Amino acid sequence: MIRVGRACAALAALVVVTIANSALACPSCASPLEENRQAFVDTTIFLTVVPLMLIGGMIWWIRRRIRAMEDTPEIPVPESLLRDAGPFSKRG
Amino acid sequence: MPDDALGRPFGVPVRREPVLPNGVLGMLIFVATEIMFFSGLISAFVIGKSNAIGGWPPPGQPRLPIEETALNTAALLASGVALYFANRSFKNDLPSTKRFLGLAIGLGGFFVLFQGAEWVALIGEGLTVTSSQLGGFFYLLVGAHALHVVAGFIILLYTYRRLSQHDLDRFTFWPAQIFWYFVVGVWPVLYWQVYL
Repeated sequence: MIRVGRACAALAALVVVTIANSALACPSCASPLEENRQAFVDTTIFLTVVPLMLIGGMIWWIRRRIRAMEDTPEIPVPESLLRDAGPFSKRG
Repeated sequence: MPDDALGRPFGVPVRREPVLPNGVLGMLIFVATEIMFFSGLISAFVIGKSNAIGGWPPPGQPRLPIEETALNTAALLASGVALYFANRSFKNDLPSTKRFLGLAIGLGGFFVLFQGAEWVALIGEGLTVTSSQLGGFFYLLVGAHALHVVAGFIILLYTYRRLSQHDLDRFTFWPAQIFWYFVVGVWPVLYWQVYL
């Protein structure tokens, strides 16, 4: 019974895929103006590239700072802070 | 007490400068979202402009003051340069820092006032939010930027006050600078797209 149900569902899906017309989701494809079509393409590229550049740039910059800081000496914590370091402090 | 591999006394905690101060990271993330916000607005404007029937700017609408705004653009860019020099002298030269920061604030204030006067003139000539697509986009884009300039102006005033009280550290100054550089940097793009 379950097999018959699955087969019917698969058949229905096949029929839907076969008979349905393709939908044009691209708004610029329908524009009669060449300038407008080009504007859609340009802004799509722009809005795709900008976030990638922002995230990529930030990662690159943080990585560069980490590498620069690896060469800097560590600063010992002052005695005044060590006094309040808590029960795990070796200086307790 | 045994030493560790780096020769430090075992168990003695050490700390480093933060890779990125929290304020700077927060401001960078905020500015990234703002860049996307303006990118969306500019994209909408570019598509609206390209779709205009009858040419752009729409007929019967006043022309935007290109030359006067170029002067205002120069003032805003100069304020960014002044802020850069304020940062350079921040470590060891308080009077210079105050002078450059004051100059940056003054130029930012000039930009806001000049733009306010420009808006009054344009409204008088009939360019309003509802008069045309140009008016709608103009006040949306330039108005959004103006709001950011006012916010940045207030932030710079706050940093100036803290500096005057000898209470300004770089972790407060840097985020303020990042925001102002963003405000300064986005304007030439708006000027190029909207005015030219």
